[in-house]
Amino acid sequence: MAKKGDMLYAWTNDSDLAKKAECGGAVTELLKYALESKTVDAVLAVTRGVDLYEAVPVIVTNPKDLDNCAGSLHCGTILLSKLVMEYAPDIAGKKIGMVVKGCDMMGVLELAKRNLVNLDNIVMIGVNCGGSVSPVAARKMIREKFGVDPDKVTKEEIDRGQFIIEYEGGHKGIKMDDLEDEGYGRRSNCRRCKVKIPRQADIACGNWGVIGDKAGKATFVEVCSDRGAALLTKAVDAKKLSTEPADPKGIELRAKTEKSMLKLGDKWRERDFSALAPRLWETIGAETARCMKCYACIDHCPVCVTRPDRFEQPALMVRPGFVPADPMFHLRRFAHISDSCINCGQCEECCPSEIPLALFSHAIRTEADKFFEPKLGKPVYTN
Amino acid sequence: MRYVQTTCPYCGVGCTLNLVVNDGKLVGVEPYRRSPINEGKLCPKGMTCHEFVHSPDRLTKPLIKKDGEFVEASWDEALDLVAKKLRETSDKYGPKSLGFQVSCRTPNEECYIMQKIARVGFLTNNVDNCARICHGPSVAGLSLSFGSGAATNPFEDVLNSNLLLVWGSNAVEAHPLVGRRIAQAKLKGIPIIVIDPRYSPTARLADDWVRFNPSTHIALANSMMYWIIKEGKHDKEFIEKRTKGFDDLKKMVEKYADVENITGVPTEKVREIALKYAEAKNAVIIYCLGITELTTGTDNVRSMGNLAMLTGNIGRPGVGVNPLRGQNNVQGACDMGAYPNVYSGYQKCEDPAARKKMETAWGLKEGSLPDWYGSTLTEQINECGDPIKAMYIFALNPVVSYPDSNHVKRSLEKLDFLVVQDIFWTETCEYADVVLPGASFAEKDGTFTSGERRINRVRKAVDPPGDAKEDWEIFVLLAQKLGLKGFDFKSPQEIWDDMRKVTPSMAGCSYARLEKPESLHWPCPTEEHPGTPILHVDKFSAPDGLGTFFGLEYRPPAEVADAEYPFTLMTGRLIFHYHTRTQTDRARILHYEVPENYVQINTEDAKRLNIVRGEKVKVRSRRGESIAVARVTDEVGPGVLFMAMHFPEGANALTNTALDPLSKMPELKHCAVTVEKIKEGN
Repeated sequence: MAKKGDMLYAWTNDSDLAKKAECGGAVTELLKYALESKTVDAVLAVTRGVDLYEAVPVIVTNPKDLDNCAGSLHCGTILLSKLVMEYAPDIAGKKIGMVVKGCDMMGVLELAKRNLVNLDNIVMIGVNCGGSVSPVAARKMIREKFGVDPDKVTKEEIDRGQFIIEYEGGHKGIKMDDLEDEGYGRRSNCRRCKVKIPRQADIACGNWGVIGDKAGKATFVEVCSDRGAALLTKAVDAKKLSTEPADPKGIELRAKTEKSMLKLGDKWRERDFSALAPRLWETIGAETARCMKCYACIDHCPVCVTRPDRFEQPALMVRPGFVPADPMFHLRRFAHISDSCINCGQCEECCPSEIPLALFSHAIRTEADKFFEPKLGKPVYTN
Repeated sequence: MRYVQTTCPYCGVGCTLNLVVNDGKLVGVEPYRRSPINEGKLCPKGMTCHEFVHSPDRLTKPLIKKDGEFVEASWDEALDLVAKKLRETSDKYGPKSLGFQVSCRTPNEECYIMQKIARVGFLTNNVDNCARICHGPSVAGLSLSFGSGAATNPFEDVLNSNLLLVWGSNAVEAHPLVGRRIAQAKLKGIPIIVIDPRYSPTARLADDWVRFNPSTHIALANSMMYWIIKEGKHDKEFIEKRTKGFDDLKKMVEKYADVENITGVPTEKVREIALKYAEAKNAVIIYCLGITELTTGTDNVRSMGNLAMLTGNIGRPGVGVNPLRGQNNVQGACDMGAYPNVYSGYQKCEDPAARKKMETAWGLKEGSLPDWYGSTLTEQINECGDPIKAMYIFALNPVVSYPDSNHVKRSLEKLDFLVVQDIFWTETCEYADVVLPGASFAEKDGTFTSGERRINRVRKAVDPPGDAKEDWEIFVLLAQKLGLKGFDFKSPQEIWDDMRKVTPSMAGCSYARLEKPESLHWPCPTEEHPGTPILHVDKFSAPDGLGTFFGLEYRPPAEVADAEYPFTLMTGRLIFHYHTRTQTDRARILHYEVPENYVQINTEDAKRLNIVRGEKVKVRSRRGESIAVARVTDEVGPGVLFMAMHFPEGANALTNTALDPLSKMPELKHCAVTVEKIKEGN
């Protein structure tokens, strides 16, 4: 019987799934069981698109279909939090299971604060995330730094500070630090991220700390809520999943890995924020002066909540029809999200004008958090 | 929730995006980050491109005009009438009595099948598309200079360049995701020169913005080339090995040492930018309608070709001459042979071998296909009544988009029979006898070919509304009514394959190969061929393999400002709207941003005329008048006005129909107007 705070190794008892999935397939099995047992009515997950550089969000109701969602996609830079609210009205009010990275989880928590989603209806299975690489940037990196045709790559992973690829004819790993110093590697928001293990989900899963004979064959599971404990217990009772207590050395190793990732996050914060600090206004002014007003930073932001009558308001400082956008177009958004930006990077990744928007709003939030009490209450996460 | 990966229906950049479908309805647009073209990023139009699809204003039933009223009809009845009228007209008056107008908004497969109907069904070359009023001069000019009328290098390739020369292009607004590439180049430290009379959002990205007098391109380019040659910065080896006609050019530009009195650009500045361009290791020219939409359009384009060849900037990464194509499929509509003098892949109708090949492929009698150059888009308008009696307009809105709207309306009234096939009731539908409801980009499969010659897949996400049909299917049904053979297509893919069989430059582009997000750039002659992102690498596409210089004289526009009409009117695009707004004005944000027509006027002129910001003014030309909100700004120079092309009773109420002799491009970018207050004393 699992309880909150438990650290376990878990693996699926379904041998077919074990072949398809990574590291024991506990994430997929837990969600399958959640569907089968009607703990949830649907699962919002991610499946592979045209190749391993493309991630596509899907809503799954048939447990069998979840097998297609097994495995990791480090080039999947989509954020699931807002999708639940916008595109799944037919599952509103029903129970939903979700696979969440740190940013997905924080997004859901922020939406819940605003009563836009109901946490009672969402089961979150968290996955550790050391950061993701945008698909086109990943292909470029593989071509230019690894000297490999990206179409020939069969598997990619981020492990022990390395970006590793397997391809027809071999495998190769390069230190992430080296890649990133040369402008490749993870998205810049991911580099600054400090939510590597999503502990505010119901269960946090990953491969860090799985050692011994279970290495590569089991998932490290940290039980983070009573609901998570109940789901895990029932899945084990139903013989879907097997568990054993995690090796203490493994627990130590996992903590060490997390610590080194957090340290790296701090390094990037220091680097990015101190470069921005001396000419903050000028930089924000110059960068946002390229804005073509596509509204993507607002549309894709999990913490931007717009007024339904926003286009009926008198325009004073943000004149309609002017490009580049008037400065207040951005200032009002930074103000709106000042104590809520989760640094998911969507604004920046979707910006056609290459404005480092996440850098600005993340800097604002981290500095504001050090000085002010947040308006919507202290969050349960820190980033 | 289902994601359908497809291609944006707006400009010629060809961004990939995901349409989100819930219960058979579009509910949003989401980024397609795997796209090598736009990496998930979109402009305001792309972000909202799903909104018009389910508009209640969509046409859902065929309509036939009976006693002056449009009444709903069955497909059978409507298509019987269309087939009967077209056949009768053709039988009575011959092949030159029909006009077929194809929109560059529509997929390749539909462009191809419509020109095939015109040619197979009625043995006419009177088929043209709206490239005629945007990049017709590029097709003509680049063909003359380089042997191929298409952009030489892909969009992303500007990042391999050492200098960008952006001429007559406001990419940030008109081709925003190419604007992004320019912004990326700037962030990379690549110098950018923008040549534009207007301080556009693109000019803001420039290290060097050069304002010149509207439509004096050739004088400016000739002067640049004069200085390049004088300083010995031309690429002698390239000129010697790969080109011909250099002496003509050299002789011509000798007269253009100082052009300040024509262009308004000081000689020292001309010399400076000329040498910067010539001295860059790799320099690319990006141009757009500022170059083409003039009576000197083809010569302006050839001047860009001259500049690039003079400095050896052709045939490798980071160089080239790139026209930014305006519409999603303006490249493709031309490629498909919806053009009055070529079949698909630019196989010339005047060439007996090409005609014979098509006759065999299409099951026609030998010698039946016409060799004559058909009437172009606006020539067809001029010929309404005589000799053109019946016209088929597919997804175009000439009443708003062609020059001199009053002339267009008068002309359409002279037709015996007009078919309009569209998704909305447009201003042009008023003049129709039959209106056929087609499908939007989200309701059919096919391909769009972007301005970088990349063939991008369009995928069906939802069904057309009501009785509306996918357009390719309408043409299949019409061909049946006409009793034509060779139109038994069950899918757009079958039409595409029919096209590939007769088109060597695209023979290798199977649908299966287009599934990859990278897709293919034509030419791609075989299934094994990797496609051709960069043209003219070892030799030019002309039969002799050489590029051709042309010595070109500067000519002023057909109508210049005078005492009666003292202002020069320039036209262009806004980021928030697309063409005649039938789609974009139905997106909430886009309508909010620019709900009505405006005109930019220089601060000094406004002061002198007592015009204040936001006031409505009347702009008049010899052909008509337009009411617009005044935007007082220094973005345009004194004596110059700017108005966007998107609004009815707007810019095209004023524009001039005078044509470029080589490409038949009307002079949409330049005419003489006057501006006045509507009420004194405001």
